[in-house]
Amino acid sequence: MIRYVLRRIVLMFFVLFVILTICFVLVKLLPVVDAQQFGKDMNLILQRREALGYNKPILVQYGIFLKKSVFGGDWGISEALYRGQDVWTIFVSKIPATLLVNLYSMLFSVPLGLILGIYAALKKNKWQDYTISTVVMVFISVPSYVYALLVQYVLCFQLKLFPLQMKSGTDWFSWEMFLSVIPPCLSLGFSSVASLARYTRAELAEVLTSDFMLLAKAKGLTRTQATMRHALRNSMVPVFPIILGNFVGILSGSLIIEKIFGIPGVGQLYVNSITALDYNFFMLLSAFYTLVGLVSGIVVDISYGLIDPRIRMGER
Amino acid sequence: MKKIFKRMHAFLLAVTVLFSLVACGREDVENPDNSGSSVSDGSGQGQQESFTYNTALADFPTNWSPFQNQTATDAEILNYITEGFYVFDYNETEDGYRLVPGAAAAEPEDVTADYVGRFGIEKGETARAWKITLRKDLMWEDGVSITAQDYVKSAQLLLAPKAQNHRADSLYSGNLSIVNAQEYLYQGQYAFTDIVSANPEPEEYIAMSRITVSEEGTLTVQGKDIALNIYSCGRWDEDRGMDAYYKANKELFVKDGKDLYTELFTPLADAKGYVRLTEEILEGLKHVIAGLKGYEDVEEYEKKEGSYGLVEWQEFCFLGQNYPEISFDQVGVTALSDTELVLILKKPLDGFYLLYALTDSWLVDQDLYLSCASEVNGVYTNSYGTSAETTISYGPYTLEFFQPDKQYVLKRNENFHGVKEGYYETTTWQVDCVSEPSTRLEMFLNGQLDTYELAAEDMETYATSDHTYYTTSDSTFFVALNPDMDALVAAQKALGNNYNKTILTVKEFRQALSFALDRSAFALAALPTCNPAFGVYSNLIVSDPETGETYRSTESAKWVLARFWGVSDDIGTGKMYETVDDAVANITGYNLEMARQLFQEAYEIAIADELMDENDVVEIKIGLPNSTSQAYAKGYEFLVNCYTEAVKGTPLEGRLSFSKDDTLGNGFANALRSNRVDMLFLVGWTGSALDPYSLMEAYTTSDYQYNPSWDTSKEMVTINIDGTDYTASVLDWTYCMGGEEIVITAKGGGARTFRAGVNDHVDEIRLQILTALENAVLSTYDLIPLVDDSTAALKGMQVQYYTEEYIFGVGRGGLKYMTYQYSDEEWEEFVAQKGGSLIYR
Repeated sequence: MIRYVLRRIVLMFFVLFVILTICFVLVKLLPVVDAQQFGKDMNLILQRREALGYNKPILVQYGIFLKKSVFGGDWGISEALYRGQDVWTIFVSKIPATLLVNLYSMLFSVPLGLILGIYAALKKNKWQDYTISTVVMVFISVPSYVYALLVQYVLCFQLKLFPLQMKSGTDWFSWEMFLSVIPPCLSLGFSSVASLARYTRAELAEVLTSDFMLLAKAKGLTRTQATMRHALRNSMVPVFPIILGNFVGILSGSLIIEKIFGIPGVGQLYVNSITALDYNFFMLLSAFYTLVGLVSGIVVDISYGLIDPRIRMGER
Repeated sequence: MKKIFKRMHAFLLAVTVLFSLVACGREDVENPDNSGSSVSDGSGQGQQESFTYNTALADFPTNWSPFQNQTATDAEILNYITEGFYVFDYNETEDGYRLVPGAAAAEPEDVTADYVGRFGIEKGETARAWKITLRKDLMWEDGVSITAQDYVKSAQLLLAPKAQNHRADSLYSGNLSIVNAQEYLYQGQYAFTDIVSANPEPEEYIAMSRITVSEEGTLTVQGKDIALNIYSCGRWDEDRGMDAYYKANKELFVKDGKDLYTELFTPLADAKGYVRLTEEILEGLKHVIAGLKGYEDVEEYEKKEGSYGLVEWQEFCFLGQNYPEISFDQVGVTALSDTELVLILKKPLDGFYLLYALTDSWLVDQDLYLSCASEVNGVYTNSYGTSAETTISYGPYTLEFFQPDKQYVLKRNENFHGVKEGYYETTTWQVDCVSEPSTRLEMFLNGQLDTYELAAEDMETYATSDHTYYTTSDSTFFVALNPDMDALVAAQKALGNNYNKTILTVKEFRQALSFALDRSAFALAALPTCNPAFGVYSNLIVSDPETGETYRSTESAKWVLARFWGVSDDIGTGKMYETVDDAVANITGYNLEMARQLFQEAYEIAIADELMDENDVVEIKIGLPNSTSQAYAKGYEFLVNCYTEAVKGTPLEGRLSFSKDDTLGNGFANALRSNRVDMLFLVGWTGSALDPYSLMEAYTTSDYQYNPSWDTSKEMVTINIDGTDYTASVLDWTYCMGGEEIVITAKGGGARTFRAGVNDHVDEIRLQILTALENAVLSTYDLIPLVDDSTAALKGMQVQYYTEEYIFGVGRGGLKYMTYQYSDEEWEEFVAQKGGSLIYR
């Protein structure tokens, strides 16, 4: 197992290197927007590009990038989106808002999703199951920004239960902040609740009809005992990676939800960095998201073994 | 083993959580808007009422440094934390504007005579050196006085060569051009200057005998490189480069079967486009010049041009050299005392335009600015003006709080002279970043915002509300087309067979697109507050700032529209229109019948010229900044439907298709220039409402033109001045209005020198040139007027504007004059009484 993990980690860095190389080369191949901008002193623009090393061969630039950013930890200065500001500082200042909203959203959606899924499985083919399944289908089919607008209009504007926008400031754990992030959390959480409930129901319903469940009951366990001790754990094998995947996905934020509720997060940064050709921002975000994706892959794979001891990875 | 895995898993989860907590672990910052509804008066004698002005922006400022700011959004903050030497205010009758001293204590004083013999000023010159006396009570927000020396030091920082400040050109480009500002900025650098200017000898051209060949085979003069540039033709045509000439006349670049541009010039060009001259390149260059001037070959050219033919190539070339080091003493910004600042200009400037040029300021706090500087690996960066901590104010408000992409809060600056004089009732101005218009409306109706700009879908409900205020802007929005043949050929090739784009090069096709456009219907669909546009300039553009007379109200400007839209023959007694005003008022720009006829003609021309085949589908790619903006989304839909309908009954029926690129973002206006799209709409220029003469450069010089392939140096325009016809290029007339001397030979012979700059006091001729150029721009049909910008906004019940009418420069009084019907506390009670929702219908 250790060898397997180590091998995956080595491979992870190799994949990271390849992806970063591709990203770097591709973004540098895009046309230089500055050169086509209106009414600017071109000499100043060209001088700045020269000073930044943008006129050097791409390979040389890449070497500098690896040395300075990847190994040196200096991701440089934003030249377009947040002109003159350190990209790492901006990124770190914006990620808490994204994390907060998505963490709260998970705290609400995971238990609810599991409970609904378990209840529906236990009441399979009864009206409770049909009701939950119908609601789940609605939650899955409708995009989250539709909920966002509905939640905002009904709960915030009409009923005035919550503020229309997330609170400003960085007092992340204040009561006002908590109240202000409930609407985006609800909007984000509906689809997670639905997908978790659906998977849990399907897996649990199948496990409940397994032979070992019959055996469990035969040896004298009550239905609750059999479900809690045996069925649930087995049904969590495919469900748990989904939860982990959602947890990792929260780092990327949600562009639309952040826009609607005024969340100063990272949701729009990646797209904006490409449109604005902000090289340093683009490379930082590429590296970050690639790393997060790769790490989550490893963590999910390892988690299989922990949930189900029968699964052994990397062993012959 | 199982335990180890469990621990490892737990460890990984813990690391992830830890990362999250670290990211969250910054010092908590409380938003000051939660501080209650009363503020301290600073005297410690209790509380006074607070008046908060709440607004929202869709895009947020990122850099409001006077040296680096880029967008109008950035300027939102800058305008309130700084103050120009002169500022706009109401005139005495409060129905117009005037410029009054702001940071200055009085009008500027012409002290040119005191500087004769220095800074290149000669005896008898005027309006070149101006003394500005500063207010004695001018101070930073912390009470520290501002002196004239601070302005000098700030100018030095702005022009610091290593800083490469984006706004450095504010001291050397435009009307206010400070002596040696550019030279100080470029000092110590290896840079190219056009060879004629750089020639140290008194002669205009460098003698051939002084040109030597280096060991590398390149031509030099006293060790300085001679080079041509792909992107600029130096003295010959600084706005166009070899690339532009090559695009227009490829055949002129072929010599002995060799393509000089692609095989000789460009392979040797450096990153900035400079190509060091060798004897072979020089021969190639002469070949191109001979072709451009219509000669068979170089031999004929040199024979007929005489000695000029031997040196004319130098007009295309540059001399590479190091800009000499100069001290800041040689730059025309100097302080005579703590309150006396002198600006020495390269060219004379006086009157309204001098004051107008001085409405901006470059002042920074030196200590704070230097503390924000960093230099890593030779790259200089400065974070001044990017957060509340890196900002210091000397304007009416101070930046109290700033959270990127979320909120900023400005507090009244009690040390500002205007506040002390009793203006600025607003104690706090809170600006939130709210992207969605629907959310902004909900906040407004809940009493959380004091103004809301109406969107198209709101007009039905609020168009006639007593709370709705309409504001005409100086911007005209256009449909911009790309008729660049090479770009279109490349784009249609990329699409595959049976697609055509080159029909856009046919003027009749562009004309048809213009006549097929129902501008009123477009405005109704996409921008209901806007009015249809028929000229380059809107009704708000002022041609005489001294009197406030608008350009569109002048007789000659009216006749431009009448002639361009074909109604001039119908004006007169007994005709369709009694006066030119009647005719202009009835222009619609929409003639479907004529549009269809022109589509037919364009198609026939395109087939005859083999631009397209009979089976081709015309594909036009339209660029949009995004699809979330209603104006662009609905505008696109309108254009597609409008043109699809217009080609019915023509050979293009069913064969005119549209696609869009809606990923272009804020820089979408550049997409046409970079040939990424074939058409843009709702594009145009703004920010020069008082100077349409300079603004014309945006339409006629390649640095700014949406379609740089329009060669304005070749497009000739004839203007009748004092009864004589004078013909010059569009570019030359533009330069003439900019204050440059041009010599024009009249039709019947006899040359006359013209210069019609701001200080040449030939207002009538200036206006004549301007109208002629407006007609020239319209006649290209690559920039089709669409709508004149105008906005409608709801005003909240808490605030009160000073004037109902919008006046250029002062608006409706701005924060300076705005008053409140309710304090914050009273307002909260009022909104609560109304059940938390206000009705503005």
